[in-house]
Amino acid sequence: MAGASVKVAVRVRPFNSRETGRNAKCVIQMQGNTTCITNPKQPKDAAKNFSFDYSYWSHTTAEEPGFACQRQVYKDIGEEMLLHAFEGYNVCIFAYGQTGGGKSYTMMGRQEPGQEGIIPQLCEDLFQRTGGNADPDLNYSVEVSYMEIYCERVRDLLNPKSSLTLRVREHPILGPYVEDLSKLAVTGFPDIRDLMDAGNKARTVAATNMNETSSRSHAVFTIVFTQRRRDQMTGLDTEKVSKISLVDLAGSERADSSGAKGTRLKEGANINKSLTTLGKVISALAEMQSNKKRRSDFIPYRDSVLTWLLKENLGGNSRTAMIAALSPADINYEETLSTLRYADRAKQIRCNAIINEDPNARLIRELKDEVERLRSLLFSQGLQELLQNTMNNSSPPAPPSSLQQLALTANGIAEKDSSAPSGAEAESASDDSPNELMDDDEEEPISKEEAAERLLETEKMIAELNETWEEKLRKTESIRLERETILAEMGVSIKEDGGTLGVFSPKGTPHLVNLNEDPLMSECLLYYIKEGFTRVGQQDVDIKLSGDFIKEIHCVFVSENTEQGAVVVTLEPLIGAETYVNGKQIEDAVVLKQVEDTLNILF
Amino acid sequence: MASVSSDEWRAICDKFTNAQNLTVVESLNDPDNDPFRSKYKARELLREIYCSLKSFEAGEGEEESGGETGETGESGEQLPVEAPVDGQTEEAFSQGFCGDSPAGLRAAKLGAVEYYLGVNHVDTEELSAGQEHLMNSMKLLGRCRVSSENVSLFIHARNQLGILWAGRDETETAQGFLETAESIYQRYMKEDGSPPTDMADYFSTEENQLTHQERTKRFELAYTHTMYYLAQVYKNLGETERAAIYCHSTLQRQLKLNQFSPMEWALNAATLSQYYITKGRYMEGRHCLSAATVISGLAGEVPSEAAAQESETESERREQLRQKRAEIARCWIKYCLNILQDSKKLLEDSIGELDTDRQEEMKRGRRLEEEEEEKERKSAMLFGSEDTFDSIASLEEKVRCLLPMDFTEARAIFLVGQHYVTQAKEYFQMDGYVTDHIEILQDHSSLFRSLAFYEEDLDRRCKMHKRRVDMMEPVCMELNSKYYLMIRRQMMFELAETYNEMMDLKLTLANRQDETESLDSHTIKKFNNLCSASAKYFQMFLDSLCSPEGKQPEHLEEEVLRPALVARFRVARLYSRLICTSPPGQVENLDKSLEHYKYVVDYCDSHPEAVATVETELELSREMVGLLPLKINRIKAKIPANN
Repeated sequence: MAGASVKVAVRVRPFNSRETGRNAKCVIQMQGNTTCITNPKQPKDAAKNFSFDYSYWSHTTAEEPGFACQRQVYKDIGEEMLLHAFEGYNVCIFAYGQTGGGKSYTMMGRQEPGQEGIIPQLCEDLFQRTGGNADPDLNYSVEVSYMEIYCERVRDLLNPKSSLTLRVREHPILGPYVEDLSKLAVTGFPDIRDLMDAGNKARTVAATNMNETSSRSHAVFTIVFTQRRRDQMTGLDTEKVSKISLVDLAGSERADSSGAKGTRLKEGANINKSLTTLGKVISALAEMQSNKKRRSDFIPYRDSVLTWLLKENLGGNSRTAMIAALSPADINYEETLSTLRYADRAKQIRCNAIINEDPNARLIRELKDEVERLRSLLFSQGLQELLQNTMNNSSPPAPPSSLQQLALTANGIAEKDSSAPSGAEAESASDDSPNELMDDDEEEPISKEEAAERLLETEKMIAELNETWEEKLRKTESIRLERETILAEMGVSIKEDGGTLGVFSPKGTPHLVNLNEDPLMSECLLYYIKEGFTRVGQQDVDIKLSGDFIKEIHCVFVSENTEQGAVVVTLEPLIGAETYVNGKQIEDAVVLKQVEDTLNILF
Repeated sequence: MASVSSDEWRAICDKFTNAQNLTVVESLNDPDNDPFRSKYKARELLREIYCSLKSFEAGEGEEESGGETGETGESGEQLPVEAPVDGQTEEAFSQGFCGDSPAGLRAAKLGAVEYYLGVNHVDTEELSAGQEHLMNSMKLLGRCRVSSENVSLFIHARNQLGILWAGRDETETAQGFLETAESIYQRYMKEDGSPPTDMADYFSTEENQLTHQERTKRFELAYTHTMYYLAQVYKNLGETERAAIYCHSTLQRQLKLNQFSPMEWALNAATLSQYYITKGRYMEGRHCLSAATVISGLAGEVPSEAAAQESETESERREQLRQKRAEIARCWIKYCLNILQDSKKLLEDSIGELDTDRQEEMKRGRRLEEEEEEKERKSAMLFGSEDTFDSIASLEEKVRCLLPMDFTEARAIFLVGQHYVTQAKEYFQMDGYVTDHIEILQDHSSLFRSLAFYEEDLDRRCKMHKRRVDMMEPVCMELNSKYYLMIRRQMMFELAETYNEMMDLKLTLANRQDETESLDSHTIKKFNNLCSASAKYFQMFLDSLCSPEGKQPEHLEEEVLRPALVARFRVARLYSRLICTSPPGQVENLDKSLEHYKYVVDYCDSHPEAVATVETELELSREMVGLLPLKINRIKAKIPANN
């Protein structure tokens, strides 16, 4: 269901003391979903109108009708996002606007009743819902991470040890991730609040040390929410993981005098002063030219980390909302207008992955011929009558389930020989003289070093997947201690963390991740391979798979613990059951080593 | 005027140095709550300098009309904002004091202080006051003729006014100032050309005067900025063609004057190439790309992996160099792809096959084009310095910039594209850069698709499509649709189309070889496999549009509306083409076919807004919904007869 566009809200705050001191006038008006801004310098000009999903009037006091309070903003945006997270979607809330525009009030709010922002309300709500869970087979766990993006660098705000800048990456199965970013286990909102607090401190400390202004950095707080369901019949766990990302986008701050740090997202007729921004001008020029429907150019990223961040939240199967905070004052007119324009553009953001179809002119011609043929047949054989009968009665309409059957059959045909088209081709390809053209590009076998590196990465990932909840909590605790020590050294104080931790979770074991062809199965299923035998097949097995070519008992995983404490998993196929490991059909038992990169096992 | 060596003068020079230091260095450390602290201090110093200069003048009995200008700061906000018109270049060269006369020098010095005050006010967001100071500077200079003593100030002041007016959305006014600066520069270089005095020289003691080299450098840099600002002004006016020319000259000047950082420059040139190729201007595109590749080489060797592990700076450098070079490679891929696709568009007939008549005609017109190319190449704006000209030219020779007309020419371009695919994939690996890697794969596949168009041997053509399947199928299957749904949809659609194409080719081939006999069982099997594979991927695409519970969407989103209906239409067609000898099997396939045609018709009936996007397909689907039942019944009628 991606393709649903971004939900956009704007919110206007009361005057702050500076604005009141300068006798500021309000240039914003709202009516329903529409926000209206007047140019204080050209009051005669028509006001500019923008419409959004929500326009929140929080300029006056709660008593006034039409005033949007914290609760309402959460109800409209936060709650919906939380529900999507329970459904298994990734969700993301972007906050945008000039510093002092009320961004943090909307997101965090104040620690007073009725004044909490979206984040605390959302977390409270999350733990309330999971706490009320009475189903013994359903297990929830929550982990958080907090990072900062500044000048193309990513910094872990929760782990002070990782002073290095982290790399953003994408994994084919696990999706986009930040390498080595710590994920800390939490058991309640107080934990989250403490971590956010600690992260914000780290952010401030770093900003001060490096003479940066935090307002120029983006901060991303992520809540990873896992719903684990145990199937009593099979004793297997399935997991539904969703990420809730709360992104604080750098404001459209005043760029410094050279314009070099022009991180502003501002549009308009402004001229960039410094030649260091030439790249931006040229990209914009090339972009103006490129055809949005069928992209035929490549414009190198100027802001690759931010692009990555947006890609993650706008490009996949995720739900996104954006809240722009507005200052009401005439003295901030320019910035407010640019915030509104930005928000207006955000409405249009949809996934830009467009299907480029081939022209089907030939197909159409063929079909027209066929139509002609059938028509002439119809008349030449005088079957008009027959046709009428057909239309009126007989030939029963296809059963309602036919669509699904069709899907099955279509898949079935292909599955029967999943290698079939290639097999058919291979014959003819093999006895032809090799075509030089085609051979230029043969994938080079990867070098040992590369293999080792990939292995290491994979192992890191698998280790992370296998980490038990206890281990995660232990790690969280130790990172917390480190963080506190380091922050204490910096002279930053930390509140005592009094939460008791101890949630039961199955022991970490090797496991399988399903790679379903069917995109409907948008969840990642995890099948754990326990010590001893794990049988795979259709009936009376530990891991139940269905499909035409899955035998009653298809194959068996044998997991043993060696003396060194390592786990060795052997895969034994049963006779007549086609089993592939990394594309090769296996006949005999095979020891599966993590050494072989992520294993691709096909049944 | 105090002599250049007097103590008073020395004090002025010190103040000026101080003010510059406050503006450029100190201001970076100003706290957030007092962001302009240093600039305000600098402003005070500049005002003092202004007063001292005036008092020297007064001593020498000069009257000065712009005398109050030093005080305009506070009243500036109330000034009416009206767009002034810049004076004519012609007048600037023919009228007024000589630049090197005492009066001329005095005007230049006062003008320079006004200029700095203007910039200072603009920087501190007092635009109107800034404008007034800059205009005063212009007024003072307006009384002088352009000469090496003041030409730099002429340009700088106009650059600043250009920025100022552009910021007020008065782009035409900005354009006026900048274009005047441009013509002043050109005329000066034509008529004089000696290294001009820099404004900083007005206020430096004898021993600190800039060298001629440094003067030239600063002057040329100011003009490079003029070019750059004009590029932006034209862009904002929607004159993209002119904007591109000015970006191009900015790049050209950076290179010529050796004022660039290699990687940044290379990436900018590569990006500009993308503008040119989407415009179909391949010669310029190729020139930008060749220059990008050569200049990126100046950034040095990529540090080895071992070195990268030793230090973080090396590791970052390695990352940067590899990434940027891979990005330039991706720009090259697009060049090759676009040129192949453009020529395909010209050469194909109504059903997408090579139109040989057209091909002949184009080839004949080619000689003219080649001559044209030679001519254009001479007049084009070339990049390069003495030591890079040749390497850029030799890189250009490796790939043509004329549209390919036959297989051999297309293949040469294809191979270059494929070379860059390999290069780009070295950095953008699947593991870590999923979306980038796949975009490159998709381009590679498109390169094959374009090349296949020129291939006359159908068997070889089929194999090219097979290569596309081979590169995409495993990747499409591996990806997690939770994160890469969109990209998977694209791949499913392309795979479906590719299998379809292969199926058509197989059939044509079989029919050619064996026109008399019917198809043998081997061919039928192959054909059916390809047909089912195509249907399978269309179906996968359609399934990907369903809700998590597997329900068909009632309303198709705009961006998938046409693809979804076209996929239905094509699946319908595919089912009717499956070769099946048993009549019940035939009936089953045709039933499915009918089902899909019906979907298209029903969807459009209940969503009239969809009709426009699939007009032809809808028309044919309606026909088939009417006609297919007839065919099905005819076959059904045969079944009992056979029994």
